[in-house]
Amino acid sequence: MESKKEIKQPLLKISDLFASTDDLTILKGVNIKINSGEIHAIMGRNGCGKSTLSKIIAGHPSYKITSGKIELCVNDIEPLEPEERAQSGIFLGFQYPIEIPGVSNLEFLRVATNARRKFQKKDELDTFEFEDLVKEKLDIVKMDSAFLSRSINQGFSGGEKKRNEILQMALLEPKIAILDETDSGLDIDALRIVASGIKKIANENSGIILITHYQRLLDEIKPDYVHVMADGKIIKTGDSNLALELEKNGYDWTDEFINKN
Amino acid sequence: MNILEKITKSDENNSDSKSNIQKISLERLRANPIPNSKNEIWRQTNKSKFSRFLDFKFSNEFYYPPIPGHANIENTCRIIIGENRAINLKEKNWAIKELEEQEILNFLKQKIIQSDSTQNWSNLLNHFLTDKKNIVGLNISGTAIPHLEIICNSANNVLNSKTLVINIEEGTTVSISQINIGDENSALSISSYFNIEEDSVVNHGIISFGKDKSHIINSLNVRQFKNSEYNLGSLQFEYDFGRLEININQVEGNARTNVKGIQITKNNEQISTYANIAFNGPNGFLDQLNKSLANDKSHSVFEGLIIVPQIAQKTDASQLSRNLLLSNFAKIDTKPQLEIVADDVKCMHGATISQLNEDEVFYMRSRGLTLEEASKLQLRSYYQEIISFLPISKERWDLLALLLKDK
Repeated sequence: MESKKEIKQPLLKISDLFASTDDLTILKGVNIKINSGEIHAIMGRNGCGKSTLSKIIAGHPSYKITSGKIELCVNDIEPLEPEERAQSGIFLGFQYPIEIPGVSNLEFLRVATNARRKFQKKDELDTFEFEDLVKEKLDIVKMDSAFLSRSINQGFSGGEKKRNEILQMALLEPKIAILDETDSGLDIDALRIVASGIKKIANENSGIILITHYQRLLDEIKPDYVHVMADGKIIKTGDSNLALELEKNGYDWTDEFINKN
Repeated sequence: MNILEKITKSDENNSDSKSNIQKISLERLRANPIPNSKNEIWRQTNKSKFSRFLDFKFSNEFYYPPIPGHANIENTCRIIIGENRAINLKEKNWAIKELEEQEILNFLKQKIIQSDSTQNWSNLLNHFLTDKKNIVGLNISGTAIPHLEIICNSANNVLNSKTLVINIEEGTTVSISQINIGDENSALSISSYFNIEEDSVVNHGIISFGKDKSHIINSLNVRQFKNSEYNLGSLQFEYDFGRLEININQVEGNARTNVKGIQITKNNEQISTYANIAFNGPNGFLDQLNKSLANDKSHSVFEGLIIVPQIAQKTDASQLSRNLLLSNFAKIDTKPQLEIVADDVKCMHGATISQLNEDEVFYMRSRGLTLEEASKLQLRSYYQEIISFLPISKERWDLLALLLKDK
């Protein structure tokens, strides 16, 4: 009997991307393709361009694409503002989630969720409907509803901030989620909660990019592909074994690779 | 024409009917016809706007103002200064009494004689202009006290002047909102005096909002006795020329003062706040935060001074000025100052001027909020801290919604 061939939809395609900030070129020809249902990990030394890549995908105004293309579901996203990218289904989980004193977490989450739902042509949620939804999602990251009444990330511990990011991901149901060092600063228990939350949200219609330095997140969430980034480009791609190799051998070989090429 | 000539000219038709208070004030003004521009509290004043303030024809007529917000004012005693109507206090059995006319005049006379005419120029101007029917004096005591809402307004094309004197008796807790309403092309002078006796708590809100080309000079004078608490929230917006002078004297120390205010400027407006907080006894406490938000080509000024003489040991005072520039053409001048002689005190002051935080804005945009929505949420948080300090309920007047309306 012939096996049923899985058809994956291309969600995010980055082609020969060059980008700079303040006349400094940071990305020097990034190529990557994420299909629906896939989890990709991007690893690399500090300063290799991982976080810059995530910010450029999300539309950070400090960076400029000098050549190349980023496509979400075959549409070029370069002309889109950050909020239009988010509404279209791009989610960036911040390495250092921003504290915004005085702005209620609940109100912020509701406005953000409705902006995405509007784009998805779903009904916007009133305060009561949203509270029901958010309570359901809180369970994914084991957060107490008391967090909702506080200001965005203000006074949150490192672990609480990261869980708040995953809560936002759960509410926004993105097509592509880029999680920038979501594992940094987490103790073992918090890492498991965050990883478990990501796994619950992941589905066959969306893709995830995990930016990380460490194997321990990848022990919890097994990626389909691992990419190694150095000097602004992806220099090697493999399966989850590549992460184990990096854990064992470090990144010195990437310097040699860059020097040779 | 100098400023004094303008003042006397503006009122020349009524010069014979002047009260003793008005005459004494005029004499003092003649000695100091122009506020000394070298004086810190006048140095930043926009002279053409100030001159325009005095260009309006003076009027002591009463004009019923459009009162903002919802009409529901249950358990509220509303007084519109200048309204020719007996204040309905006895009927309601409220523990508020009107002060005798002579009592008020004697009090004001003492103030005028004792005051430094440079520092108190605004009060002198007010007392020269204000006639008896535009002076309200109240004594508050006991427990059956409603929320007091005092309205001071100016009418189109004239300069109005109002005076408020309130004595809060020992052991009394009261909340008072003072709403200053400026009509289009108008000027308003207000001087208010609060005497807060021992063990009393006063929650005071001043909301000054004008219309196109409104002008206001509001001088607030507070004396606090021991174990009293005075909480002042202020909000000033939509004045072409706005000036709030806050003078608080902890007469014996051992009192608590909390002051939180915000001034919002746009177009070519200038709004200033001058705060002079003096501790004349030990163990005084002050927590002051002044915020400003300046847009377009507007100018916002804050000057604060904390005075801690030798007698004021163990004073704990903090004065912070936080400012937000929304335009490259707007201007903010801020100067919190300390004058400390006592050696065992904890005093701090600081000032920050910033623009809307770009990281915060990007974080919100990356969640799908438009730039406008993100800015609005940020402003909401900026305003909220002050609005929530004002003793005026959202049901009575939703100030936050009003401020965010045009943003």
